[in-house]
Order: sequence, then structure tokens, then C-alpha cells
Amino acid sequence: MRLRQKLVLLTTLSKGLMAGVLLLALPWAIEVFALRHTEARLRSELVKVRRRIERVGVTSFLRGQENDQRLHYDLLEDEFIELRRGRPGHRQPDTIATLPRRQQGALVDFRVLRASFEHDGRPYTLEIGKSMESVEDVYGLLRSFAAYALVFAVLSTLLIELGVITYLLRPVDQIVQRLRAVQGPTPPPLPPLQTSTWDFRYLDDTIQQMLQKIRRVFEQEREFIANASHELLTPISILQNRFENMLQAENLPEEAETQLVTSQKTLQRLTATLRTLLLISRIENAQFARPDRVDLRALLGEVVEELDYRLLDQHIRLHQQLEGAPTLAPANRTLLFTLFYNLLSNAIKYNRPADGRISLTGAPQPDGTYVLVIHNTAVRPIPAAQLPQLFERFRRFDDGRVEGFGLGLAVVRSVAQFHLIGIAAASDEHGTAFTLRLPPARPDAAE
Amino acid sequence: MNVLIIEDDKALARELGLYLHNERFHCDFARTGREASEKLFVNEYDFVLLDLGLPDQDGLQLLAEARQERNQQASIIILSARGTVDDRIKGLDLGADDYLAKPYSLLELVSRMQAIVRRKHGVTQDTLSFGPFVLNVSDRTLRHGEQEVPLTKKEFDLLHYLLLHRHKVLTRLQLSEHIWGSLISDSDDRDSNFIDVHVKNIRKKLTPYDPGDWIETVRGVGYRIKTTADA
Repeated sequence: MRLRQKLVLLTTLSKGLMAGVLLLALPWAIEVFALRHTEARLRSELVKVRRRIERVGVTSFLRGQENDQRLHYDLLEDEFIELRRGRPGHRQPDTIATLPRRQQGALVDFRVLRASFEHDGRPYTLEIGKSMESVEDVYGLLRSFAAYALVFAVLSTLLIELGVITYLLRPVDQIVQRLRAVQGPTPPPLPPLQTSTWDFRYLDDTIQQMLQKIRRVFEQEREFIANASHELLTPISILQNRFENMLQAENLPEEAETQLVTSQKTLQRLTATLRTLLLISRIENAQFARPDRVDLRALLGEVVEELDYRLLDQHIRLHQQLEGAPTLAPANRTLLFTLFYNLLSNAIKYNRPADGRISLTGAPQPDGTYVLVIHNTAVRPIPAAQLPQLFERFRRFDDGRVEGFGLGLAVVRSVAQFHLIGIAAASDEHGTAFTLRLPPARPDAAE
Repeated sequence: MNVLIIEDDKALARELGLYLHNERFHCDFARTGREASEKLFVNEYDFVLLDLGLPDQDGLQLLAEARQERNQQASIIILSARGTVDDRIKGLDLGADDYLAKPYSLLELVSRMQAIVRRKHGVTQDTLSFGPFVLNVSDRTLRHGEQEVPLTKKEFDLLHYLLLHRHKVLTRLQLSEHIWGSLISDSDDRDSNFIDVHVKNIRKKLTPYDPGDWIETVRGVGYRIKTTADA
């Protein structure tokens, strides 16, 4: 899951949770609030009534009323004031309670404030009430208003957060894009990242440092290879030239001559091994460019022509069937030549001594890759256990006939990796097959 | 012919000088870039053999210098063990006439020098003959009288090389270096035994025209073209 999605999910969940809790608590909270509000009004009305009684006296309220009681409803009958004489010496503190009252034959709930007081030495009880119905009206209104406000608040903050998260996380995409653009060990210096977030700048700085380090390591390796070439090949050069000079001598005994030639051959083997190892190192050190667009059919034709005399010499039949127009780009033609040369050379070397066959078959795949199979008949199959190590340096399948250094397939592998070609080997009683999966040619790669 | 050998390794320079001396070249030596500059300033050379890995100066820089007035006509051959991939291209771009990667066979070096001389002085010998056969270098054919003997590219090169050094025994190594050069390939295939296959094929092609075995096998060493006197 992406970080952005996670963050959005997190804020959505936390907001939803908060809204849920609020919505659940809202009726209760609003009821409490509405009741408090009602009680405060009742009290303030009580104060007003008391003030009025202080001014005009009780009698004007109670005049003309039987049993000294006065009850007054307002026009809509959702509020009332009742004043009556209390029992002497029975003073009580103010109370507020919800009480039912008979009103036109029906019982209606009222929130009632009851207060006792004395006036001119006589006790009175005053009740002020407000119908619960009117209170509930108020808090119904409040509740729906609060619910709308809540939903609006949740949605608007969510949208704002989405925008902010997207904006904040933009450098991640930028960093990834910049990293993707790094193709070789020595990429051009990257422009500084445009962000005010410390963490991303920290990440970017670290990546830049890492790239620097990789670049340094590659440069050191490059220098090492150059120095090693010089230091190892110079003494070999001296020896080889000396042998050649010695062979020039007149009247050289035949035995010495043969020994010199044998020594030269040994030296040549050392040279070849060394050159191949250096070649592999140079490929791995990315010292080769990939400037070419290679037509595989033509290239294979050249390789076959180069090896034709050996096919003829060993009476090996070559069957070639390539579908489509396989192309490799970007590519290094010389290295690819070496790759196919080595594979085909192996196919000849490890073939049957009689009635040998090699087949080159290739077909484009639906996913844009091209699969090429080089199959050869063999004296005996390569044991399955040895297949994975086939491409390692100095590993070689021993079929009892061929001697060598076992670097040909190591070169094949490094050239294949350099061109992003997948390579696999398989072997059974019918022979050995090398399967190459070529990546689709990039149309922008130059000729 | 005057040759300046610019090479910092004494032993290597000595072997090179010895071989060239036997081939009738007159050799002068320089072990550093500075020494080389001085000699190039004072003397005229036909050939400058340049090692790129000098202790005090980049060989490629010296190459540009060597191309100046006094030694404009000199042929420059780069001999390098550094083997950086673009060394060769850079060297040839800067005006070197040829490039050989160390280790190389001295015979190959001398052959290249002779080829440069022939090219420069226009003394290209168009045909080389042995017995009843005539090898035509410019149209790359081998003829027996009026009849053409079909040869592959490699067979032609091999025969040509043997004829150019017809008084010498060429080892398989010398032949394979000439045929395959520094072709980057599976190391085993540089194995000189494949020279035998080529020689066998050439012989097979020559026999129907003339029964004489014109390519002589020198046991344990290599091959040589029989001179008419031997036949």
C-alpha cells in the first residue's frame, strides 16, 4: 500500500471515529445543554417576578383569587407562573424538576422551578414552568445543525488533508524518478531536490552521497583494471618477445626449438586467460558503450561464417530458423559478436563426433521480448547439478574430451547481463540448449 | 630505417630493439616522455613505436607532439598494455598509423611496419607467387594459370602471411595472432590448433592443381612455404 493511501486512510478513519463519537454523544450533550439553558431562563424569570413582587406587593397578584392561589399561563400554554401561599415555617430551598401537569385534561411534562420566599412575614411558593415540548424543539434544531456542521467539518478537513499529503509527498516521486534516471555508475550530477521537508532533503543527500561513493568505487576499479593490465601484461610481453627472439637464432637445436614453442603456447594460454578476465572486469565496470543497433540475423550470419570451417571440419549440420526481425538496441556489436561466437563455439566443441547438429531457433514473444534457443546435440548431457555453475568463471563441464579454461560462458553471462539479456541453460539426452531472452529494442537507440 | 622506441620497461625495449635490429632497422630508445620529446625534436624517424603507459606523461599527449613538424612523416604505432577500451580509438583519432595490444608477436609488429612502408612508398607488390600458383593481393585471389582457386577470407590471409615471410618458419601462435588479431573471444578459440584446420583445408584445395606439398609442416614449430628451390 502506498504511503499516501495509508495516510489518507488513517485520517479518514480517525475523523470517522471522531464524528461517530460526537454523533453518539450529541443527543445527550444537547439535552444537557438545552436543559441548562431552560433552567437559566427559569431562574432569570424568577428573579424578575420576585423583583416585581417586591415593588408592587403580593396582593395585586392574588387579588380576586380563591384559596390565595394564582396560576397564569402564557398564550400558547407552554409556560406558566403559579404563586400561592405557603405553609408557615416550612421554608424550602429552590428546586428544579420535570413534573407532569394537567392541562386541558391531558398530562404535559413541564420543567418547573419552585422557590419559597417570605413577603411581609408570610410565606409563599412560586413556581415557574416551561413545557418540555418547547425545550425539545430547541434541541432537535440544535442537533440537526450540529450534525450538519460536523459532516461539513469532517469532509472539508479531509479534502484539505488530501491536498496537503499529496503536496508533501511529491518529493518521494521526484526522488524515485531521479533514481530511475541513473543508468550507469557515473550518472550526471543531479539537480538539488526542491523541497522544504527536512526528511526528504536528508534522504536525497544520503542518496547523492551513496551515488558518489559508487562512482568512486567504480573509478577505483577502473584504475585498478588499467594498472593490473599494465603490470601483468608487460612481463608477459617481455617473455613472449624473448621467446620469439630466441627462436630467431640460427642453428638452434631442434629440441630447444620445440621447448620454446611449447613455452610460448603456455604463455599464450596465460595471456588469453588474463585478457578474458580483464574483459569480464571491464564489462562489469561498464567500460563499454552501447552505441549500436544490432540486427541479430545479420550478426548470427557473421558468427556462423567465422566458424564455418569448424562446422565443415566436424561435419556438423546447422539448422537456422529465426522468426521476425530480432533487433538489439542499445547494444555493443563487438561484445554481442563475442557472446554468440562463444555460444556457437561451445555448441561445436561439445557436439557429437559424428552426425552432430546445431539448431538456432528464435521467435518474438507476446510481451515484446525475443526468445532465441541455441541447441546442440552432445555426447552426454550436463548433469543438472552442474547447470547453475556453468556460467561461473573457471567452471567447465568435463565431457572427457575438451581441455580449456572455462571462461567462455562467464564472458557470455557478463555480456548478456550488460545487455539485459536473460540466459539459461538446460540439458538432457537430446543435447544442450542455451535459451536467451532478449529485451525489446528501444526505438530511440541510435544506429 | 630509423625507429624510435618509446618504452619505459628496459627489458621489453631491449627485446624489441633486438628483433628490429635483426630486421635491419636502426633503433633509438626513450624511456620517458621528456626524453622522447627531446629526441623527436632533434632527430628524424621513419617509425615511432609508442607505449602509452609512460611514467611522466600521457602517451596520447606525446602522440600529438610527435605529429609536429620534424617528424610529420613518421609512422606511429601504439603499443599498449593499458588496454582501455577507447585507447585504441583515441590513438587512431590522434593520428597513429596502427595499434597493437601487448603482448603482441614481434613478427606481427614487423609485418605491420612493412605494410605501412609499402603503402607509403607505393611499392605494393601486387602478386606473390609460389610454384605454379600466383596470389593476387589487390583482388584477393589465388590462381593456378588461368584457373582461380577459391579460398575463404581466412585461408587467403593465412597464405598471404606465409608468403610474406616465406623464408621463415611461422609458429601457430604467430599465424593465429595474425588471423584473429586481438579478437575478443572465448580464450580457447585462440588456441592455435585451429590453424591446423585452415592449413589442412588450403592443402586440400591446392592438391588437385598441383601435387607438390607447398605448405611445409615444421614439426613442433609451425609452417613454412616451400621455396621453389626446395621443391
